Amino acid sequence: MRAPTKLSPVTTGMIAGLAVATVIVAGACDFNIANPNNPASIGPNATAAQVDAAAQGVVAAFRIDLTSWILKSGIIGREDYRLDTADPRFTSELLTGPLDPSNAAFGGGQWQREYRSIAAGYTILNVIGSAQLTDPEKNAVRGFIQTMQALAFLIVLDAHTEDSIPIDVNRPVGGPLAPLVTNDSAYKALNVILDSAQTALQAAGSAFPNELGPGFAGFNTPATFLKFNRALAARVYAYRASLGALPAGTYSTTWSACPTCWDAALTALGQSFISATAPLDQGTYVTYSTGNQDLPNDLSQDVPSAIQLVHPSIKANAELQTGGTLLDQRFLNKVADRGTPPDTFSLACLASALSWIRYPTPNSSVPIIRNEELFLLRAEANWFGATGTKAQAISDLNFIRQTSGGLNPTAVTTASTDAAFVDDLLKQRLYSLMYEGGHRWIDLRRYGRLGQLPIDRPTGCASPTLPKDTVFSTLPVNSFEVQARQ
Amino acid sequence: MVQRISFVSLALSLAVGVASAQQRPITGKVVGSATSAPVAGASVTVVGTPIGAVTNDQGEFTISAPAGPITLLIRSVGYRSRQVPVTADASSVTANLDQDVFNLEAVVVTGQVTGVAQRNLANAVTTLPAAEINRAPTQTLEGALQGKIPGALIQENSGAPGGGAQIIMRGVTTINAGVDPLVVLDGMIVANDAIPNGMNAITAAQAGGNPNNQDNKVNRIADLIPNDIESIEVLKGASAAAIYGGQAANGVIIITTKRGRAGKPRFNVTQRFGTSSVANSIGSRRFADSAEAVATFKAAAAPYCTKTSCPFFDNESVLFGEHPLNVETDASMTGGNDQTQYYVSGIVRKDGGIAPNTGYQKQSIRANLDQLLGSRFKLSVNLNSIHSLSNRGLSNNDNTGTSPYVVLPTTPSFFDARPVNGVYPVNPFTTSNPLQTFAELTNAEDVWRILGSSTLKVDAVTTPTQRVQLTLTGGLDFFSQRNDVLSPADLQFEPLDGEPGTVILGKGSDLRQNLVGSVVHTYTSPSNALSATSSAGFQYENRDLNVTSVVGRTIALGLQNVSQATSITSTQFEQPIKNLGLYAQEEVLAANQRLLLTAGARADRSSVNGDPDHYYIYPKAAASYRFVSSAGGGDELKVRAAWGQTGNLPLFGARFALDTNAVVGGQFGQFPSLQLGDPTIKPERNTEIEGGLDATFGNQFATFGLTLYQKTITDLLLVQSVAPSTGYQTRIFNGGEIRNRGIEAALAVSPVRAPDVNWILRSTFSLNRSKVLQLPVPNFNIVGIGFGTSLGAFRIAKDSSATQIVGTEGVVGDANPDFLMSLSSDLTYKRFSLGFLWDWKHGGDVINLTQLLYDLAGNSPDQVPAGNQRVTDWLGGHTKVYVQDGSYLKLREVSVGYDLPPDLPQHFGMRTARISFTGRNLLRFTPYKGLDPEVSNFDNQAIGRGVDVGPFPPSRSFFFSIDVGF
Repeated sequence: MRAPTKLSPVTTGMIAGLAVATVIVAGACDFNIANPNNPASIGPNATAAQVDAAAQGVVAAFRIDLTSWILKSGIIGREDYRLDTADPRFTSELLTGPLDPSNAAFGGGQWQREYRSIAAGYTILNVIGSAQLTDPEKNAVRGFIQTMQALAFLIVLDAHTEDSIPIDVNRPVGGPLAPLVTNDSAYKALNVILDSAQTALQAAGSAFPNELGPGFAGFNTPATFLKFNRALAARVYAYRASLGALPAGTYSTTWSACPTCWDAALTALGQSFISATAPLDQGTYVTYSTGNQDLPNDLSQDVPSAIQLVHPSIKANAELQTGGTLLDQRFLNKVADRGTPPDTFSLACLASALSWIRYPTPNSSVPIIRNEELFLLRAEANWFGATGTKAQAISDLNFIRQTSGGLNPTAVTTASTDAAFVDDLLKQRLYSLMYEGGHRWIDLRRYGRLGQLPIDRPTGCASPTLPKDTVFSTLPVNSFEVQARQ
Repeated sequence: MVQRISFVSLALSLAVGVASAQQRPITGKVVGSATSAPVAGASVTVVGTPIGAVTNDQGEFTISAPAGPITLLIRSVGYRSRQVPVTADASSVTANLDQDVFNLEAVVVTGQVTGVAQRNLANAVTTLPAAEINRAPTQTLEGALQGKIPGALIQENSGAPGGGAQIIMRGVTTINAGVDPLVVLDGMIVANDAIPNGMNAITAAQAGGNPNNQDNKVNRIADLIPNDIESIEVLKGASAAAIYGGQAANGVIIITTKRGRAGKPRFNVTQRFGTSSVANSIGSRRFADSAEAVATFKAAAAPYCTKTSCPFFDNESVLFGEHPLNVETDASMTGGNDQTQYYVSGIVRKDGGIAPNTGYQKQSIRANLDQLLGSRFKLSVNLNSIHSLSNRGLSNNDNTGTSPYVVLPTTPSFFDARPVNGVYPVNPFTTSNPLQTFAELTNAEDVWRILGSSTLKVDAVTTPTQRVQLTLTGGLDFFSQRNDVLSPADLQFEPLDGEPGTVILGKGSDLRQNLVGSVVHTYTSPSNALSATSSAGFQYENRDLNVTSVVGRTIALGLQNVSQATSITSTQFEQPIKNLGLYAQEEVLAANQRLLLTAGARADRSSVNGDPDHYYIYPKAAASYRFVSSAGGGDELKVRAAWGQTGNLPLFGARFALDTNAVVGGQFGQFPSLQLGDPTIKPERNTEIEGGLDATFGNQFATFGLTLYQKTITDLLLVQSVAPSTGYQTRIFNGGEIRNRGIEAALAVSPVRAPDVNWILRSTFSLNRSKVLQLPVPNFNIVGIGFGTSLGAFRIAKDSSATQIVGTEGVVGDANPDFLMSLSSDLTYKRFSLGFLWDWKHGGDVINLTQLLYDLAGNSPDQVPAGNQRVTDWLGGHTKVYVQDGSYLKLREVSVGYDLPPDLPQHFGMRTARISFTGRNLLRFTPYKGLDPEVSNFDNQAIGRGVDVGPFPPSRSFFFSIDVGF
């Protein structure tokens, strides 16, 4: 029935043209389009420039979480408040709980971003052998990266006292996950990593092939960088020593005492950049900047309208300077009245009239570790360590009290109890290191004294309704880590 | 080459020769059978030939017909087509056309270029004619569609001027891939990007690592001009949309613009004046005395109140209290002859905003030209240039105390935010004074867009039974979006970050090039009992989206150029994509046009797939059968079934595992991205089966359509949270399965049939239920939507609804509505017309975090005791108190019109004149406690809509319009 269709030459030509167009479109266009928005990761046979970019990336990745950590650990350790009308969790979750392990900005933090920095380090360490560098240069890079990885691990441990810490994380994604180890083992592993970095730096020649950046001014050769590495090692030894001395069960059931750690800390301090003649601010820093594509320091704030405010106990407990009516110089340097006259800002039953000005501008750097802390670590290790003396401990403590705070010498004597010494040590550590990364919280915890933190709302708050404050000893392990292992 | 040209001339000369030798003129008139009124614009063709004519205003036509007995086929929109035999000796004819009350004969596009009559359609395709689209004026296209498409949930993301709305068809189609339907305008895929305005630099809404932008973006389909649209067809599911293949998973919206009509030039002008006002407000707590004020707002509150009273200032109503004058002028002109037809239109619209420094402007000009080239070639050229400028103020979540509904909760009602002698008081209770912010901050989005396409159609073969048509369309869609944000240094919040003054310059452009070719062969049996349409073709698309943004901080008061800022951050994002689809389809209409059988397939490749050279095949098949009443009168019943597949492309970049980069102290650094890509990533696949029936009964008294569908999505693009100790946050891969089942029903009734009355009532109903059938990953919360479990999270869990909301205590709600319904009426009685549309969404929860902010600050209007109780419950682990019923019933559109008696306008030289009052969103009823349950802090989302954090409040608008025709 159906009539045979005879296509005219016009039609045939048109259809042929259409077919040709189809073939051209299908064949000639290259569909393999690269992603112009992101650089490819470092690979084998990397050039010096590629190694440099990847090494700086480790610092960049580490930096992302640092200000958030300082703020959060400061709030939990009652150094400060953030009276943020837009986000109630700074005055509820962090002070009354429950901590939300799924949210990296709050309870679930100090995990993924730190491990990302560690993973960034491994992408370099895994290919550094084939990089277009000399062997000493490769060792210099290894020493730098491993020290930075240890620093990132240390933040994870500062925030977490649970025995669920992945350390052996240099594994292909998708394979078995790194086993969880106890906090005790994790701290020990940090010293191993730092010692491995030390070995590499000692075989690293005289210069880094990569630019370390302005935060490491004065520490930008393998030899000087090693002094920073040893300073970190001393901090880790001191933490291990004090934690190991806690009564069983206070911190972790599997914690082992480390009677030699105080001496190891003293040894490391001896190899560090501790110096009575150098400025107390000498040390390594993480830099922030409003420069192009850089990251501003979001802890800087405008004093009269600041919402990151000083905990009232900081002012209440500050001592007077020698012979005067002025408060501790460190307090004066880091705290300012929110307004003139003092303008008390209240939210959720919390109030303060004091802004903290530890980071006055968005270009302010955040210290990693500095000379002032080294003296306090040495005081601590000298008091408790077998090779140290209590007199030396008091001398170091007074050096900080007088040089940094302008205070009278301490009332602690060599005859004082350990508790009396720790009282003053932790107080000096608070005023010397406040707003530099939760030292008050970490220190009170490692001496089993979290109960000494002030409770602002012992009966909660009526408006908004909040339960009584709690002092957390740890952040929970990030819930995604837990889920991934179920 | 030479040979081909000579053949063309030969063919043309032959055709002309035949015509001149044997032609005879036939004159006639086409009238409506009920009213005997002339039918203008009806098409009259001689069956089996390309010879045709169009009736004039008096319904008259003249046609040159071949000798011998012929049959004329007469068609007109709104009437049932009719074949009229004309004997060899007749020279005039009168044809009566019966009204096609429900447009059953309208041809619905079912392929790329082919279509079938609505009455044969095997899918539930919704067709909206111009009259339904433009019942009441709207700023954006999406507004014109709300409540009109069964199975589609169309919601605005906020009340901000200039749009930002989402169209969700048939439930959950994806979790992580694209969420917006494909928009095809006159055969060309057009851009519907949503480019952030950069406001995050001020609000820091993404602080804390939230990956989702909360800038209250506008998706650019908003630019299209509803007035230019002749009809919209909505292909909701995969069974209908399979011919659009790998991009059609969210449905396809096929827009056909108005075309010229032969005849004397007709010129229509509409002038509208109107106003708008805020439709809802939250209110603020009233304080009785200083004791109460100080208890909540501390010592800072003391100076404002006395021991016996506190003043009350409604700062919210002052801020959103404008009643702007809104003006719109539309003009269109159409005309032409049997060779050339043109349609030209223009629109100028200027809407003020309900808040200072907000508003919307739009200008557009369109020219559509159709030109016959000889007897076989037809060239259509469409050009549209659109400009829109929206000033959107500041809204949504923020972490800096800047967005008004984040600031107002902590601003007590005894604080008067109004300026004194031009100086805005500093808000001592929080970080900004919203009145100052809106008075001084500008947030302008300026878009220029050009849409152009040309189509060449060739009737290569035309015989009484065979027809071959070739079509080639080349299209271009280009827009340039410029965002200018200036937050002057003297705003209260500006010095807070240590960098007073912020300026943002954003430039985004998207270039879309389309090349679409097709060949269609149609065979029609001489008796018209059988016809078969075969089509094949290709669709090539090249996209290039390029967005740059420069944020300048620390800029002195009075300066506004980014180069005057002290510190600069710049970003660029590019997205080049190429897509190619090849398709073939066969449609057979058999058994005297009662049985329709369709089968087809499309093969798609795309540069965003892991393997960009691989073709993914999307097949489809459908059948329908009409049972026609032997009594006549047009009553019939159709049963139908359809099956098909579509795809949803991976997001750009999903196939790569690349680094991200940063600068530290002037040095470039790079480190692993948060998300691990997958080099084997492939499109998601939607497989849908739908079945249903359509009935027309009572001599076209009513039509009823019922559709049941099941849609399963496999190979979902899943973003799995990986153990963060790997350094990555997520990885992307294909897996899992989600099922949607739903019902859609549409009823249209023409209750009164009288010469002076034309009344159609329409009602739609739909519901959809989704379920996660397979999930190869642990149950997870959707990353970046919401603010953690305690504030309500969207959790994907096996065997649960894909849209469930979980809180601290477990499942606390579901964002999916229980059902959607609408009721519309279009009544004309003599010269009066009345139209309205009610849009009802029942159920579907919204996370009301705005109320949480008020409650936490102790400042809700019902704070004591209700607000305090809510906070206590929430802190006690009951997220449920802020997950609230988002049901609403809205009177979307009202229109009352009157056609002036013809002698009145004719006295002034006009052809017609009409006056009308229209209103949009005049009434709403909702149990929801926030500003509006139509809200999305995270803009368009596959699942996580309905998070309410300080949105721009909704408005209602009224217009008085005068339409005149010349």
